[in-house]
Amino acid sequence: MPSLTSKRAQHWLLHAALATICLFALIPVATTVLISFKGERDILRTPPNFFPCDSATQPFDPSACRWSVEGYQRVLAPRPAPEGLLPIRLTGNLVSVYLPNSLLYAGATALLVMLLASMSGYAFSRYRFRGRQTLLVAILAITGIPLLTNLLALYQMGVTLRKAEIPFYDDRFFLVVVYTGFFLPLSVWIAKGFFDAIPRDLEEAALIDGCSPLGALLRVSMPLALPGLMAVFLLTFVNVWNEFIAGYLLIAKNEFKPAMFGLYEFLGQNIINLQVVSAACILIALPVVVLFLFARRSFFAAMVEGAIKG
Amino acid sequence: MLPFWLIFPTVAVLLAIQVYPALYTIWLSLHERQPAGWEWVGPRNFDRLFKMGLFGESVGHTALFLVGYTGLTLLLGFFIALLLNRKLKLSGLYVTLLFIPWVIADIIVGIVFRLLVVPDYGLLAGILQNPALFPPEGLSVLTASRAAAWVGDFPFPPAPAMIYLILASTWKALPFIILLLLAAMQTVSAEVIESSRIDGANSSQVVRHILVPLMLPTLVVALFSLTLSGMNGVGMVFSLTGGGPGSSTEVLSYMLYTLGWRQLEFGRAAALALLIAAINWLLILGTLRVTRLEERNV
Repeated sequence: MPSLTSKRAQHWLLHAALATICLFALIPVATTVLISFKGERDILRTPPNFFPCDSATQPFDPSACRWSVEGYQRVLAPRPAPEGLLPIRLTGNLVSVYLPNSLLYAGATALLVMLLASMSGYAFSRYRFRGRQTLLVAILAITGIPLLTNLLALYQMGVTLRKAEIPFYDDRFFLVVVYTGFFLPLSVWIAKGFFDAIPRDLEEAALIDGCSPLGALLRVSMPLALPGLMAVFLLTFVNVWNEFIAGYLLIAKNEFKPAMFGLYEFLGQNIINLQVVSAACILIALPVVVLFLFARRSFFAAMVEGAIKG
Repeated sequence: MLPFWLIFPTVAVLLAIQVYPALYTIWLSLHERQPAGWEWVGPRNFDRLFKMGLFGESVGHTALFLVGYTGLTLLLGFFIALLLNRKLKLSGLYVTLLFIPWVIADIIVGIVFRLLVVPDYGLLAGILQNPALFPPEGLSVLTASRAAAWVGDFPFPPAPAMIYLILASTWKALPFIILLLLAAMQTVSAEVIESSRIDGANSSQVVRHILVPLMLPTLVVALFSLTLSGMNGVGMVFSLTGGGPGSSTEVLSYMLYTLGWRQLEFGRAAALALLIAAINWLLILGTLRVTRLEERNV
């Protein structure tokens, strides 16, 4: 049957096309990894060479490759630390100050958003109260306010709060609240969607069996909604980790800067040291890429849920 | 009382971080800072904003960017979703690999693309600066100014940096659009397509007369969501071009930053912010209408 062979050929053609598309999609990532492992000698060459592997006689000789971790060394700036737990200490600002800051902002915001979104998402899903519909529409409408245009006012608020010298308050607190306010509306809708998918009968059965409403929420609905809430957490974490402009404008002190801010400054200082900038990019992008690869199902679930709503 | 206390914290945060600043921005747009304090100036900030040469130019750049970015992303996204819709064994792997750019921050995408075209040393600079390929003297994406405009002041043909900005933005946005379109494609029932095949329709006819009409609401949602991200995204402009060379990639979102934080013109910046926010609102309302229509049809 000729149609069978043509079908098989079509099948392979499809695979070839998709593999090529993936390859193209990953070229910028691959080149960045490649650049980050070059030495200064191979960076500063005109015309540039793709692989640092040319020898005197051959354009490409695998045995002559001059791979180097100089870029990473300059970003991490490891120093011997005799009295520490580990024999070396990383002293580069990007990894010792900015990256932990990003971890703090992203982690704290994601936790806060998950908590608030699960509370209000549950209430919107389970209770019919006056003003419910209005509030839901209002929250959806708020997703229409872009972070960018609110920043002028938020910046002024930040300056005022800074001047007020509230005890234990600093810019970090403000930034986390701003991020929470910004990523909350969509998360409420996503969380509501996940709660809607859990049958009410389960809770009613728990109530009949003598559980309190709060007990039913904590013992029955929460565990069932946990995968969905986890998705909200992960999505918020990645969004905050990757956010640039608010962190750039709302943080004044050097020791509170998030990684994207640090990276942007780093770019200005090192634009000609391509290997150093590449290494910095990879170190900062790697945590969320790994997170995504491990939890991709969660991400897709939250994104499809969110895309339908807003 | 339980629902009230469950919702109260969310409402409080949203009032403080979203509603109050939005109202404050409206107030700001009607005032101007004077040595003595804020003075009411009415619509003068808008007036002065519209008269700025850079404003008209930014509108042109933004329009050009949005058309290129949304058009290219939708076209590529639809095509790739079509390929993935064949339910191959490795589809999951392909989707995962294609999705990696989505997780990478705007600012890093900008840097990654910038490093490729850094004059003389970038990996693509060797190809781009070759006079034989790009006459008369090779192309340096980050420094080449745009050619003379064809129609009035409208920035067409765009500067190489603008084309490059569109490509980088498309690269980053494509995964999400593929996912969105693929999800919609999978809801189109296989039987409809099968029966049209039996009736003698070829592939392009199936796409044109069945897939596109049935997926129209999703395509519109994708278009609006791309326009929103394109209007408000500023990180990539920061790290890729910084608005330059000259002002050839100065889009409205980046102009808001220069106006507010470089020139400290808060009143005029607030006017611009309101304008951007208004466009956002119109797009969201449009999306809501389309999704509502979709729900009614189902």
